[in-house]
Amino acid sequence: MVESIVSTGVAIGCIYALIGITYNVMFSASRVFSFTAGTLGMLGGVLGSLFIARLGLPVAIGFLLALAGGVLLGILTEIVAVRPVLKSLDQHLYVLSTLALALMVQQFTAIEWGTEARPFPRLFDIARGGFDQQFWLPMLACAGVIVGLELLYRHTLIGRAFLAIAEDTYAARALGLPERSLRMVSYALAGAIGALAGFAGGEMLLAFFGNGPLLTFYGFVPVALGGMGNNRGAVVAGLLLGLFQQTANFLVGGIFASVAVFTVFIIVLLARPEGLAGAALQRRV
Amino acid sequence: MSLTRRQALKSAGAVAVASGVAKPAIAAKDPIPVGYLPALTGPSSSTGVGINRGIQLAVKEINDAGGIDGRQLELITRDTQSDPTKAVNGAAELTRGQKVSVVFGPVNSGESLAVVPLLARTNTPQIHPCWVDSLTDPQKYPMCFRNAPTNQQIGGAANRYVMDVLKRKKVAVISDTTGYGTASVNAYAPMLKAKGADVVYQGNVDAANPDLKPELLRMQSAGAEAIMPWSVNAGFLSRIINTRGDMGWDVPIVGQTTLGSGQTKALLEKPEYWAKVYPNNFRPVCYAPGGKLTDRTSAFLDRLKSAKIDMGDTLLWWIALGYDSPRLIAEAMKSVGTEPEAVVGYLNKLKGFPGVYGDITFTTDKHDGYPDDEIVMVEANSLKDGAFNLAPGYSA
Repeated sequence: MVESIVSTGVAIGCIYALIGITYNVMFSASRVFSFTAGTLGMLGGVLGSLFIARLGLPVAIGFLLALAGGVLLGILTEIVAVRPVLKSLDQHLYVLSTLALALMVQQFTAIEWGTEARPFPRLFDIARGGFDQQFWLPMLACAGVIVGLELLYRHTLIGRAFLAIAEDTYAARALGLPERSLRMVSYALAGAIGALAGFAGGEMLLAFFGNGPLLTFYGFVPVALGGMGNNRGAVVAGLLLGLFQQTANFLVGGIFASVAVFTVFIIVLLARPEGLAGAALQRRV
Repeated sequence: MSLTRRQALKSAGAVAVASGVAKPAIAAKDPIPVGYLPALTGPSSSTGVGINRGIQLAVKEINDAGGIDGRQLELITRDTQSDPTKAVNGAAELTRGQKVSVVFGPVNSGESLAVVPLLARTNTPQIHPCWVDSLTDPQKYPMCFRNAPTNQQIGGAANRYVMDVLKRKKVAVISDTTGYGTASVNAYAPMLKAKGADVVYQGNVDAANPDLKPELLRMQSAGAEAIMPWSVNAGFLSRIINTRGDMGWDVPIVGQTTLGSGQTKALLEKPEYWAKVYPNNFRPVCYAPGGKLTDRTSAFLDRLKSAKIDMGDTLLWWIALGYDSPRLIAEAMKSVGTEPEAVVGYLNKLKGFPGVYGDITFTTDKHDGYPDDEIVMVEANSLKDGAFNLAPGYSA
């Protein structure tokens, strides 16, 4: 039982953490919570299955094309659902615009791909059993993204520019940073991370259009718990969420597992509205 | 040449008499409009596509044989696109615009739930094959008939197989959290208990939950001797089958028809995991022990093959159901004409209509025409030409 809780819990937690990072990367560049994050995860699984299982492309090419699909949706999100509402951020219109785009993509996927879950291909030809690739692939993807983002943000000029935009958009623009281009690149990067989450978790979650809302909701929990824009917090909270959810599956089971997750979520937010790792917002008076 | 008033009146009278005589003669040869509301596109179209193949074949055969007293059946199709709203629009247009004599469909319960009350108000006879129990009611919808089983019948057949054929008393009943899933578990678990079963596990699980091992371990530790899943979600069903296989647990899985679908098969980790999985099906379109179909079904298969109708990507019972429906309508109209009340009067007394899918019987008080004893369980891993082998324990 413990082995199953840890392997499945950490793997699913890594997928939630990656979706949480997707939210954060988009949020840092625009102060917008884009609800296309879960849709990107869903699309990563569907496109991976489409390119590799259905069209028979090599795994590496299928992987790159799935990420490219995520990048495209990320850019589309920025152009269609975020840019037009940036001027009125305080009205939170982005909730509607990003949710609408997510629903459109989900319905389009349902019509073109079908409403049934379809198999996601085995990426490596290794016999099943024990600590299977369906568990370690999401962990590997999560570790890769954490290291990659750290290197990007700490050791590259464009990474520092991202941080500058995230810190203070107006000051960054005043310094001559191309805010719009950086935002676009951020959304493309978030698209790739979201698609990677769905691709790496494809063997667990299958290529299913209904994974979009699931990842949108469960991926948001690490963001809220870990602190908005805080990637390290999202990873820790994502892993805790996965482990807690899987423990609840074993201990209470059925729909009560979901109830347990959201009960804890609400209690934590009541106790620490800024999230476990977030800093309390200073309000200007 | 001048025309006197008397001559003009005579001519007009002659034309009027001639047209008055000729009109009924033309009307008698007019095609009979039959409304048809399949889901040919959209997310729930696989059933409709299969049924449509049978419908088109039957209408062609009826018309090639001279139609109904010389009148051709004209199928007026409105694709519901798997959408209840479009089904309602299609039904309104068929009854008000096209003035159809009778409607077949919709073929999905979600669409029928919206259409049945509407057609009941337009005085149009309706036949549909949807399973949701409330979709027939001779009091509320006196012109609506079902030539397929109800959900109660489907669950009852699975329960009988588990308890009477497999002789298992400790049963786990599981579903997803959809309306269909929860309603099925809530209906079937009490039916099992009433038959004397011990329902050791009863649960609804989110279909997107990637790991069902906790649920199956719970069933196993409760001593379940059979698992009965009620869901149309192939992903959910395949996870139950895969988890059972990974656990090495030799317990039969008995339930919804989707257990035997190609989508479920595609999601299995190993082909051998499909053994001991028994979905619902219908005896007339199943292979009896020895691999034989009934004579009626064999003849039907020959007709399908000669008409070059593809069976590889669909199920035989869908095509058979589609094939039987226009024949049932034609039979009624041949006997009593096309007036709605006459058609309904005929259907109310229908006894043992010999369909390929099943023998249909209606009475004034019972508009659910499919017989209980023709609902059976089959071996999921035996699919060939759209049909399955009967599950072990059934006689030929």
